[in-house]
Amino acid sequence: MKLNAQELLAGTPLENDLTFSAPWEARAFAIAVRLSEAGVCSWDEFRAHLIAEIGKADRVRAHGWSEDGDGYYVYFLRALENLLREKNLVDAPSLEAKMREITDAGHHDHEH
Amino acid sequence: MSKNHVTVPTGAALRVKALETLLEEKGLIDSAQLDTLVDQYETKVGPRNGARVVAKAWADPAFRKRLLADATAAVAELGYGGPEGGHLVAVENTPKVHNLVVCTLCSCYPWPVLGLPPVWYKSFAYRSRAVRDPRGVLKEFGVEVPSKVEVRVWDSSAEQRYLVIPQRPKGTERMSEEQLASLVTRDSMIGVGLVKAR
Repeated sequence: MKLNAQELLAGTPLENDLTFSAPWEARAFAIAVRLSEAGVCSWDEFRAHLIAEIGKADRVRAHGWSEDGDGYYVYFLRALENLLREKNLVDAPSLEAKMREITDAGHHDHEH
Repeated sequence: MSKNHVTVPTGAALRVKALETLLEEKGLIDSAQLDTLVDQYETKVGPRNGARVVAKAWADPAFRKRLLADATAAVAELGYGGPEGGHLVAVENTPKVHNLVVCTLCSCYPWPVLGLPPVWYKSFAYRSRAVRDPRGVLKEFGVEVPSKVEVRVWDSSAEQRYLVIPQRPKGTERMSEEQLASLVTRDSMIGVGLVKAR
């Protein structure tokens, strides 16, 4: 059976959920997959961090019964940051510094 | 829109952008590879792969046997494999057994055959209730399982991922594999839906 793009995008019952609800979610996902493919970490190591982050959120929810399915990639991102910190690859100060650098560069561009 | 217009990322988008830049500077990842991966998961890897597996299992008894014996090897025959694809187990719905898949701890899911999991699969409500009250959860998905049918809940893990082979609907005896595959829904392969002949 050959699949064509039109068929894949046809909005059939199979495809009625967006894979990612924002581009950054896709990016975070791809970073984690690439790091495990490249052998920087194993997927199981990442998964352990993900379970820990989801577990924390679950304990909060278990008391308040709030529901937020979209929060998943927030935990995913935290797990990724925790993993990279544990591996001494990206620490909090260098992440903060890089965020400032990107923000400053962006605002600088806007002034022109 | 001006070509020089740059949207400055904020919040989570900014954090991810910063992580990506730092990792690329260290030579650990390559942005172009990330683009390819995202495209793959957004357009190529998805539940249509699983639908094709199910249709083949319905149409080809020898394949069904191989799928139930070693699902990882059987789906590789169709070219499906890769991350999160190892240790795949196929569980078959019958008139006596209905299978339901969950990952109570996080979001383990057989990517090569189903793509990435839907939002509800990752939700606290589904993860916490599927084991405790599977019939109640199924009812909310519109699936009434008769009391004489056993409901088996499979909790996914790093060791095992599950693919449900739904029951083949009546009236589809003359259909081709391709036609059969078009009937199979993602939800039916997680166990929260049934396949209808349309």
